[in-house]
Amino acid sequence: MRARKLLGVLILLIVCGAVLAGCIFAGLFEKSVVAKDIDQPLLPDQMKSLAQRGAYVAVAADCYACHTTTGGAPWAGGLPFKTPFGTIYSTNISSDPDNGIGNWSRAEFHRAVRDGVGKGGRHLYPAMPYASYRKMTPEDVDAVYAYLMSRPPMKVANPANELTFPFNIRQGLTFWNLLNLPSETQTKDAARSDVWNRGRYLVDALAHCGECHTPRNLTQGMIPSDYLKGALLEGLFAPDITKDGLTRMGFTPQLLAGFMNSGLSAQGAMTNQMYEVVHFSTQYMTKDDLDAMSAYLFGLDALPKDATPPAPPKPVPVAAEVATAARGTYVALCAACHGAEGQGIPHVVVPLATNASLRLTSARNLIHTTLNGIPARRFPGLERMQPMPAFKDVLDDRQMADLANWMRATWGGEPPNVKAEDVAEIRKGH
Amino acid sequence: MTLAMRKLSLTVNGKTIDPIDVPETMMMQDFLYEYLNLTGSRMGCGQGICHACTVIVDGDDGAMREMRTCITGAHWFAGKKVRTVEGHATRDASGAITALSPVQQAFIEHFSFQCGYCTPGFVTGATVLMDELKRKPVRRADLEQTISEALEKHICRCTGYVRYFEAVRDVILKTPGLVKA
Repeated sequence: MRARKLLGVLILLIVCGAVLAGCIFAGLFEKSVVAKDIDQPLLPDQMKSLAQRGAYVAVAADCYACHTTTGGAPWAGGLPFKTPFGTIYSTNISSDPDNGIGNWSRAEFHRAVRDGVGKGGRHLYPAMPYASYRKMTPEDVDAVYAYLMSRPPMKVANPANELTFPFNIRQGLTFWNLLNLPSETQTKDAARSDVWNRGRYLVDALAHCGECHTPRNLTQGMIPSDYLKGALLEGLFAPDITKDGLTRMGFTPQLLAGFMNSGLSAQGAMTNQMYEVVHFSTQYMTKDDLDAMSAYLFGLDALPKDATPPAPPKPVPVAAEVATAARGTYVALCAACHGAEGQGIPHVVVPLATNASLRLTSARNLIHTTLNGIPARRFPGLERMQPMPAFKDVLDDRQMADLANWMRATWGGEPPNVKAEDVAEIRKGH
Repeated sequence: MTLAMRKLSLTVNGKTIDPIDVPETMMMQDFLYEYLNLTGSRMGCGQGICHACTVIVDGDDGAMREMRTCITGAHWFAGKKVRTVEGHATRDASGAITALSPVQQAFIEHFSFQCGYCTPGFVTGATVLMDELKRKPVRRADLEQTISEALEKHICRCTGYVRYFEAVRDVILKTPGLVKA
């Protein structure tokens, strides 16, 4: 009797669970943040007047970097994103009616950007940062829509995604959205200044900083309690950009705003994905906007007139044999460009003595860069950094570990805790 | 001011250099010029870009590696076997040149260079490339791209690269075993 009762309860639970899962899958729990009045199309005159501002909003949202491949047609998509579940390609968002968004309505565009649901109810993958763009104002989304519609159509077909089952079922994103998509949008914090509020809007919504700098949970959703505290991304650390993290790297609010503008500072040169962020986005942002972002990241209501740079970290002692070996390596392979005292060469090579990668908790970025090098790079204002050679064939794991430990301890004030095995892992691409 | 010195011993062009006091921070290029009077490796940019200063390091496994001497410290070469452009040709007992290396000969035959400043680097680079192909031959169809990729880091400012390129392709095709059928 009891066993039968238990069985009944169990069956009931399973049925309820299945019904619930079915409801989620059907999208019944999805909540659109797009208002009803967006169904009203924009008039041609409105489209025209919005397009110009939309160009700037699209720059701040860095749409171009992902929706255009190197040397590819503008806004035609096709950039691959390698994920643990397979490869996703960015899509054509030019005004082409067949391959792009030419026949998307205003409301369809809003729902794609802010709800992650494209034309015809097709779910977008969160490689498109709709979890961040959700916080965009309807006015800004309208502006981007008007701007993109003013771009020439590009007849470039979208490559098919290469995703494994079950991730190739777009409707499955309903579960991800339920777990990871905030239901609320951002409202103005009346206790803070307009500058702070603008900065927060830029950081959270348009520039979508958290997509890389906030660590993700098992389902790849951003962890709110670790907001902007830094995350591992394709083998490299997107650093902690909270006030503490920025200060640790040696930034002041002014230095950070300047770094976003030029890509260069005493802390180093923008590298990896941030190089493209500067290239396509932040170098074109207004000084007011960069100042606002910086003020917000430092938790300030306004950018202070001047600020004392944080004191350089106190050197940490290193074992004598490690220091001797590492100094020998440094003098032989690094000093000709980075300088005997790590001072670098202005306009040519970044300094190391003040370099942010030596001050991060993890040595991964430093080791990865030393092993693999960096190509020659152009920066705004005719600046050009020479290529950094790859040393993976020159340094063995022990030499690399000693060098990283010595540099980080001497200039970064970080404990010399890198082991040869750590280098071996990074070398393998882990 | 006195420079901190350290003993350095290495092999250059087959000759063993006995331990000698060399400043710790001295670059290899300066060591070759000032201590060994070997001025063939050219100082170009001084920051590792132009590759006019490269030399060959013969590894214990027999493989060659190209190193830039303007940005690499002399002491990095301690105990290693180094070949500068002066060490490529065959010489008789008196030190007179009896035959150029195949790469050198090909550059002459193709009129590859004009002012010649970048040539030591190209000789080094092409010799290392041939050594790599000996170990790992390429398909004929991939040869042109392989040459470009291997030598594009070398900068030449007067003849353009076509005659260097043609000379290297010619000498590779003439040398058995570098190209797969």
